[in-house]
Amino acid sequence: MRVKKFFAAMLVSAVALTLLAGCGGSGAKSGGADAKTVKVGVFLPLTGDNAAGGELELRGIKLANKLYPEINGKKIELVVADNKSDKAEAANVAARLIEKDKVKVILGSYGSSLAMAAGNIVKEAKVPAIGTSCTNPQVTLNNDYYFRACFIDPFQGTVMANYAFKKGAKKVAIVQEVSNDYAVGLAKFFKDAFEKLGGQVIEVANYQTGDKDFTAILTNIKAKNPDIIFAPGNFTESALLIKQARQLGIKAQFMGGDTWETQEFIDVGGKDVEGIAFSSAFDRERATTAEAKKFMEAYKKEYKGEPSAFNALGYDAYMIAYDAMKRGGTDDSTKIRDAIAATKGLELVTGKTEFDKNGDPLKGAVIKTVKDGKFKYIDFVDVKH
Amino acid sequence: MTMKKRNLLLSIIAVIVLFGVANFVQLEMDAYIRRIVNLCMIYAIIGLSMNITNGFVGQFALGQAGFMAVGAYVVGIFTVPVAMRPGVFYATPMNPAIINIYMPLGVALIVGGLLAALIAFVIGTPVLRLRGDYLAIATLGFSEIIRIVITNASSITNGALGIKNIPPLNDVRIIFLATLITFILITLLINSSYGRAFKAIREDEIAAEAMGIDLFYHKNLAFMISAFFAGIGGGLYGALLGTVDPKNFLFTLTYNFLLIIVLGGMGSITGSMLGAVIVTAGLEYLRVFDEPLELFGMAIPLFRPGFRMVMFSVLLMFCVLFWRKGIMGTEEFTWDKFVNFCKHPLAYFTKKGAHAE
Repeated sequence: MRVKKFFAAMLVSAVALTLLAGCGGSGAKSGGADAKTVKVGVFLPLTGDNAAGGELELRGIKLANKLYPEINGKKIELVVADNKSDKAEAANVAARLIEKDKVKVILGSYGSSLAMAAGNIVKEAKVPAIGTSCTNPQVTLNNDYYFRACFIDPFQGTVMANYAFKKGAKKVAIVQEVSNDYAVGLAKFFKDAFEKLGGQVIEVANYQTGDKDFTAILTNIKAKNPDIIFAPGNFTESALLIKQARQLGIKAQFMGGDTWETQEFIDVGGKDVEGIAFSSAFDRERATTAEAKKFMEAYKKEYKGEPSAFNALGYDAYMIAYDAMKRGGTDDSTKIRDAIAATKGLELVTGKTEFDKNGDPLKGAVIKTVKDGKFKYIDFVDVKH
Repeated sequence: MTMKKRNLLLSIIAVIVLFGVANFVQLEMDAYIRRIVNLCMIYAIIGLSMNITNGFVGQFALGQAGFMAVGAYVVGIFTVPVAMRPGVFYATPMNPAIINIYMPLGVALIVGGLLAALIAFVIGTPVLRLRGDYLAIATLGFSEIIRIVITNASSITNGALGIKNIPPLNDVRIIFLATLITFILITLLINSSYGRAFKAIREDEIAAEAMGIDLFYHKNLAFMISAFFAGIGGGLYGALLGTVDPKNFLFTLTYNFLLIIVLGGMGSITGSMLGAVIVTAGLEYLRVFDEPLELFGMAIPLFRPGFRMVMFSVLLMFCVLFWRKGIMGTEEFTWDKFVNFCKHPLAYFTKKGAHAE
C-alpha cells in the first residue's frame, strides 16, 4: 500500500511537472505575440507514415521564412504543428492553429486526406489554407478557403497521357496502386486523356500498398504487349514493379507521377529504372525564374544538399501567402483569402502561379527521367493560360 | 428516501448538469475545444463498444476499426447531398442503384450500426469458435478485409479517393446525447441477465456452460452489440471529420481503443469513459511538448514534433505499472461510493485494503 501511494505521488508530481511545462510554453508564446508579429500556421505530417514528405516541405517553408522574415514591418512567426499523418489529429491541429494560436493563414499539408480533414475547419473559421503537395482535386472543390501550390492529379495525368501519345504510343497498360488515392486519380485522368487522343488502354491492373510480388500482373501484361506502361504509385512498390518487369523481359517504357522523385526509387530500382519518365513540379535545370535561383542558392547553403520538388512546393506555399499578405494586409484572414485568389503572374520556384476558380494553380509540369543513377530533365509542358 | 431513489435522483441531476456543460461548450467555447470534447465522447462510445467483448465477455477481439469503417462509410455514402455526389465520385461514377438514396444523419447512423452488427454476425459465426490470441488475429484479419473491400468497391465507396463533403456534425449536444444513450443502454445490458452471463463467460467458460449458459449465443450477441455501437461511433467519427477514406481505418486505429479500455479498466463502463477522456484530451494537452520551448533564453532541443508521444508513452507505462488493472479495474463509479467518500474523505486513504480509484 505504501509503495502504491508513493508511486501515486510520483505520478501526480509528473503530471504537475507537465502542467508547469504547459504554462511555460504558453507563457512564452503569449509574450511573443503582439502587434509586431503575424502568425502563419504550418500544418504538416512530421511524425507517422508521411513524415519524410512533411519534413521536406517544412524545410522549404523554413527557408522561405528565413529569406522573407518580415512583412509590412511585422515579423512572420511560423507556428509548426504536427498532424501525425492521422485524419482526426489533422482536424484537431487545424482547429488548434486557428483557435489557440490565432494564425492568419495555414500552410499545408502533404497528403490530400489530411488536407481534406482540415477543409471544413478552415472554411468555417474563414482562415485561408494553402496546400503544399495535396494533389487530390477534392481538396479545393467546394471550398473557397483552400488553395494549393501544387498542380492536381487531372493535370498531371493528362500531361503524361499527352507525352505518351507524342512518343508514339498507341497501346498502353495501366498498373495502379489501388489503395492510394493519388495513384487512382492519376490513372483515371491518364486513361481519359489518352483515349480521347485516340490511343487504347488495353489493361488496367491493381495492386495494394505494400505488395512485393507483381509477377501475376506483369505476365498478363506481357502477353498483351503494350507500348507503354503507366504505373503511378508509391516509389518502393513502383521500383520493385519495374525491376520485376525487366526480369520478365518486358521492354515497354514505364511512366509515373511525381512520387517517384526520391533517392529511394533509384536505390531500389537500380539500373532497371533508367529511361522511365514521370512528371514533376520542379526541376533544377528547368528552374529559370529569379526566385528559383535564389531558392536553390539558399537551400544549398542552409541544408548542404540539392533541393527536391517538395522543398520547392513548401517554399512556394509560403511565398503565395507572403505575396497575398503584402497586398491584402496581415490583419484580416478574409482579405488575405481574397488576395490569394487574386494572385496574378507571381513568379515562384515552380513557375508562374495563378489560381483558377477552384483555388488550383495553373502551372506547368516538367517531365523527367533517370539517367546514370540521376534524375534528368527531358521536357516541359506548360498549361494553357 | 431509499438509496435507490437517491441514486436515481443523483444520476438525473448529473445528466442535467452534464448536458448544461455540453451546452456551454457548444455555445461559449471555441472550435478547438468543441472538437476535442466531441472526439472524447465519440472515442468513449467506441471504447465502450470494445469493452463489451473484451472487458465483459473476456474475448480478445480486435475488429473495432473494421466496424467503425462500416458505420463511417454508411454515413459517408448516404448523407452527402445528391447534388454534390458527381463531384465526389469523379473517378468512378457512383453506382446508379444508390446515387439517389439520401438519408439524414440519424437514420444513416442506425443503418450503419445495424450493417456493422450484421457483418459481425457473419464474421462471428465462424470466428468466435476461436479463443485468445487466435480470436484476436482472426478478428484483426477480418477488420482488414472490410477495409480492403471498401478500397476496391470504388463505385460504392469511391475507393482510395475517399468521400468528402459529408455534412459536418460539430454539435456537442447531439454527440453528448448519443454518448448518453450508448452509456445507458450498455449499463442496462451489463446489469441484466445477459450481462451476468457475459461476466460468467469471462470468469470461466466451462463453469458458465455447466450453469446452462449458451456460450456461442452469448458471445455472438456481445460481438454484434459491440459492432453495432462501433458502427455508430464510426459514423459519428466520419461526420465529425466530414471526410472518410480507407486509410483512416487501418488496424492501428483499433489499438487506440484497446489503449483506452486497458487504461480505463477492462470490464468497467465508467472506466472506458474515463480512459477515452484521458487518452484523447491528454494527447492534445501534451502538445506543448511538440512546441519549441525556451528556458532562460536557451532552446531545449528535445522539444520538437513527436516528443509528446514519448512523454505520453512514459506516462502510460507508469499507469500500467501501478494500476495493473487499469484506473478503474473492474470497479464502477457508483453513487454509494461517492457519497461514502464525501462523508469520510480521509477514511478512503487510511483504511487498509481500500481500492485506489
